[in-house]
Amino acid sequence: MSTRTDATFDLDRAWQVDPRVSMRPEPFGALLYHFGTRRLSFLKNQTVLAVVRSLADHPTARAACLASGVAEAEVPVYARALAALADSKMITERMSHDSRT
Amino acid sequence: MTEVPTTGSETETEALTSDELLVEEVSIDGMCGVY
Repeated sequence: MSTRTDATFDLDRAWQVDPRVSMRPEPFGALLYHFGTRRLSFLKNQTVLAVVRSLADHPTARAACLASGVAEAEVPVYARALAALADSKMITERMSHDSRT
Repeated sequence: MTEVPTTGSETETEALTSDELLVEEVSIDGMCGVY
């Protein structure tokens, strides 16, 4: 199994929340629980929650960031957050034939 | 002179400089009573 790092996260690919992840909105952001890995992730603000929630609705993670109100200058910060979520399998890359319009 | 505490907007700016504050991960493996 390969190890994903910040450098390998591709903002210009399609991503989605893993089907085994349950997401619970909280005042601070959200709590994610992965039933396969038994890991928890805390999303610490509403913007990163909006990004994660909208991943499946956009052709790329970058588009999801921008549509959620992330400024261009802040995109790298959110990309690192998404990389951490990808590393823990909370989000997974979406195959092109699975993309939604 | 006492120091003036930072404002909320400054705190928000600091938060955006670190992805660790956007996502925090925890493993519950080994916790009693979870499953």
